Amino acid sequence: MSATDKHGYEGYRDPTKSVMKRFGVTVWSQVQAETTRGPFHGLVLPRSETSDADHLVLKLGSGYNVGLRADTITKLTKTGYKQAHYKIPEEEFPSDPSKPSVILLGTGGTIASRLDYRTGAVIPAFSPGELYGSVPELSEICNLQTEKLFGEFSENIGPTHYIALAKRIGEAIAGGADGIVIGHGTDTMHHTAAALSFMVQRPPVPVVMVGSQRSSDRPSSDAARNLIHATWAAGCGSIAEVMVCMFGPTSDRYNLLHRGTRVRKMHSSTRSTFRTLGDVPLAMLQDRELTPIHATWNKRRDDRDVDVHAVFDERVTILYYYPNMQPDLIDAVVDAGYKGIVIAGTGLGHVNRKVYPALERARNAGVSVFMTLQTLWGFVQMHVYETGREILEFGVVPLANMLPEVAYVKLGWALAMHPDDPGAVKDLMTTTLAGEMTEREPHDGYLVFQGGVPEIDELLGRIWS
Amino acid sequence: MSVALDANPRTDPPLDFPDREFGELSHQDYAELGFLCGLEVHQQLLTDRKLFCRCPAGIRSQQVDAEVLRHMRPTLSELGEYDGCALMEYKTRKEIIYQLARSSVCTYEMDDTPPFPIDEQAVQVAISIARLFGLDLVSELHVMRKQYLDGSIPTGFQRTAMIGGGGTIPFRASELGSDRMLRIRQLTLEEDSCREVSDVGHRITFRTDRLGMPLIETVTEPDLLTPLDAARGNRLLAAIARSSGKVRRGPGAARQDVNVSIAGSRRVEIKGVPSWRWIPRLTHNEAFRHLNLLRLRRELLARSVNAAHLAISAKGLPWECSDLVVEASSIVRRSSFGPIWDAISRGDTICAVKLPGFGGLLEHPTQPGVTFAHEIEERVRVIACPTTRPFMIGRADYGVDAATWRAVRSALRAGEGDAVVLLWGAPEDAATAAREVLLRAQDSLVGVPSETRQASAGGNTGFERILPGPERMYPDTDTPPLPIVDAWVDTIDVVERPWERADRYVAAGVPAAAAEELATSPWAELFDDLSPSAPSTARRLAFAIIKRGHGLRARLGAETASAAERLRPLVEATDAGRISPHWFEAAFYELLVDSGPAEHILDRWRPSSDDCQQQEMDVVRANVAKLSGKSADARLRWAMGQVLSTVTMDPLQLRDRLVRELALTEDGA
Repeated sequence: MSATDKHGYEGYRDPTKSVMKRFGVTVWSQVQAETTRGPFHGLVLPRSETSDADHLVLKLGSGYNVGLRADTITKLTKTGYKQAHYKIPEEEFPSDPSKPSVILLGTGGTIASRLDYRTGAVIPAFSPGELYGSVPELSEICNLQTEKLFGEFSENIGPTHYIALAKRIGEAIAGGADGIVIGHGTDTMHHTAAALSFMVQRPPVPVVMVGSQRSSDRPSSDAARNLIHATWAAGCGSIAEVMVCMFGPTSDRYNLLHRGTRVRKMHSSTRSTFRTLGDVPLAMLQDRELTPIHATWNKRRDDRDVDVHAVFDERVTILYYYPNMQPDLIDAVVDAGYKGIVIAGTGLGHVNRKVYPALERARNAGVSVFMTLQTLWGFVQMHVYETGREILEFGVVPLANMLPEVAYVKLGWALAMHPDDPGAVKDLMTTTLAGEMTEREPHDGYLVFQGGVPEIDELLGRIWS
Repeated sequence: MSVALDANPRTDPPLDFPDREFGELSHQDYAELGFLCGLEVHQQLLTDRKLFCRCPAGIRSQQVDAEVLRHMRPTLSELGEYDGCALMEYKTRKEIIYQLARSSVCTYEMDDTPPFPIDEQAVQVAISIARLFGLDLVSELHVMRKQYLDGSIPTGFQRTAMIGGGGTIPFRASELGSDRMLRIRQLTLEEDSCREVSDVGHRITFRTDRLGMPLIETVTEPDLLTPLDAARGNRLLAAIARSSGKVRRGPGAARQDVNVSIAGSRRVEIKGVPSWRWIPRLTHNEAFRHLNLLRLRRELLARSVNAAHLAISAKGLPWECSDLVVEASSIVRRSSFGPIWDAISRGDTICAVKLPGFGGLLEHPTQPGVTFAHEIEERVRVIACPTTRPFMIGRADYGVDAATWRAVRSALRAGEGDAVVLLWGAPEDAATAAREVLLRAQDSLVGVPSETRQASAGGNTGFERILPGPERMYPDTDTPPLPIVDAWVDTIDVVERPWERADRYVAAGVPAAAAEELATSPWAELFDDLSPSAPSTARRLAFAIIKRGHGLRARLGAETASAAERLRPLVEATDAGRISPHWFEAAFYELLVDSGPAEHILDRWRPSSDDCQQQEMDVVRANVAKLSGKSADARLRWAMGQVLSTVTMDPLQLRDRLVRELALTEDGA
């Protein structure tokens, strides 16, 4: 397909494309369409690449889009042409020397955006000027500098991005930033948060990750509130750690600051999806006031000292154990050259007897194997049952209450910190660096309410009101 | 609806048209006013589930299991401008509370879960109704998001999809002639919004049980040229939707938005009119509100008032950045006027606004019993969200002492020709209110602002919000397009349209007016089920159903079949000539009120035996002689009464017989 061929027919394939060509109509043409189902008048829009090949999309004067099936079209008459040009007007972000300076690093996705109502396209807003236009409250908090590092959806973010981010954070701290905000898609935000927790140790200023569960083009979006809270936490907050800042409840009430190694996305779509597991969150944020919840956290410092270790060995994997797992799976991973395996085991940290030989072969091949829990809450405790004791015999190292994804990220980082030194890797993995394992689990560190139980419904009736 | 369509095609306002109450104007008068009305009729569909989730449809719950708090932020258009409506809603800075019950709402309605595939049952019903309207169907459904920032939908937009457009239906009930047609612009399938529970100050509360229910919105062209036609058009649309048999009935199941303009004005939308009965008075009053606002404009232009005189910057505190506003707390602190005292004791900011050139115009009438001051006050109420009445004072005789009023006017350097209003509230609210007063005053130079207005039962309308712009629609990226294939459309039954049905009834012997009424009545099905064969039976049955329609449901239950069961012997007997059509209605009524066996009841209405008839004729013959002093007409009537009180026979036949056998004649015969 030539470039000109594609141009003008965005997303269209045959048979619709042939119909368009026959009548000399392209995308952005204003057309009068005669069809076997009646006449329609509207603007030809680009078609989504994933939609079928049979329909032409028109935006009618009423604003509605409709699809006309190609074989119902008897005639298209072009009556005009109106190409959309997406542009967001910029207003200069006000500068105030008395306010802290915050750097916003973009990784992709949209933190803020505007709508092109004519076509319905969502236009991301990112530069300070663009952001000022859509979230003007930011100018009351800080002097904002923005930098787009990558343009990736969350699921495509990986080790190379962790490394680039960690380095850039180190530079920003050295450059005098009072706080750093990282805009990130929510799906893997907790992986990146964990990675940065290990790569950027003891930061003197807050490093706050933020995203949105409802896209910013909708009036009910959580994006603006999240961004305002995150920016405030970065510029004015007193906690200097790698954190995630997202909605507390589903209501527009307060945000929570979660420690980067204990946070996990727990629901596919609700606003309150990010939860601290096995512990309490670091703090609540509401109306520009930070209320600490956790007893211990690292305070903001005036110095610029930070330990940046931006390395990652990609030869790590995570195996989610299931009953009847076969040893050949582990063998295959070892044969493929992986250097580290994190197992998400059942119960207190168990796998079945069948895979024992494979675990032994892995150890002999120099592959480091660690045990975490698919229960997510609680500690690995491999001495309680014989199974656990047997597994320990094969050199599998328990990782207390470290979350499986955190263990995966830490192992990749640890293997790169100590190449070819399984002993040092084991030491590093079992040493708590950023709260990834806790000494104790408070009684309210595990809370998964059961709806329908009278006492819980009563509680919800009170707190959800 | 595009902006171009919003303006009335006629630009010459009939400013000298006399003020008239509803009921005093002919359709020619409305033509002179340039009265135009279009309808947007919303009708809930009878489906098992909601449109985009699997919650049960049609559950009305009073229970509140939890509440969710949200806010709405406007999103910018490509030009960097907020939609006027969006901006207004944002200015109100509302806290929106959603009350939810587990039985009727899931995380979808709370905007915490993306939509599930669109309910196909609802799509099918929508398509079948679109076909009743004769609309051109789209071949692929695209779900769009239509922005609503008033909080009535937690997402901030309504999911809606175009089903079809471009239809024309016969509008025989029109007072402008039975050959009128009504054009249908479009029919869309969309999710219903929340029910408002309360709206006080900065907090608005909604119940969510209705949220997400499938409904269709049918939009007409502005083809309704009188208030009465608007109501009749509404009834017609409702009847067509009902004739599908797949729509919900009962309170709130059907609501309409009524668009009105007159020559020289623009479309104003009266939203959520609960009954067609309200429409004539509402649209009449609204037309005259337009006329009055256009007259106000003429007066302002005559006084050379222009927008620059009323301008105020969008930023900063009004009393600091405009000569038209003063912070009046210290000026009014000695006032003896109660509301001012209350405001002072609450710590409110009190401010006064000058409207240059508006002297005496706050009292300019707009609607029956309502003045221009009220238009301003409503804007203040809705946008600045004050909580204590009065929200605004626009004249000294409201109760403000003369000294205070003089001081306020003097602080503003207000002259004879200027109007002044006093406002109060929390500082931010007072600032919003002052700005809004000036913005509304600016709008009066345009004439009729584009607004969405609420209907009141008395026939007046009140400001609800700025009319949303047309550019608030964008695709719903959460739902894939849904092809409407031919095979699917073909399998959807299209029932008879009401006018086709009426034609059939006329052919069966029912007079045209009754046929029209019966065709749109819920008992049309009963008529069809009974299918009388004789034209005289058909006519009598149609009349009886129309007349006794209200009692039918109560007496015979909602089921057509059971009602038909009860009435069938009567129809058959009448068709066969065993019961005179003359007694049809009386027998019909007895079948409703008397629960005895139908045959026994019908026996009372069968013609009496020849012997009985003859016997009674003989008695009358003997007695009629005694009435020699009476007129022939009186004697005939007396004789008829006598006979019919004891025997059952066709009155026309009896009359013939009396005339023939007793030589009774009418006067002059």
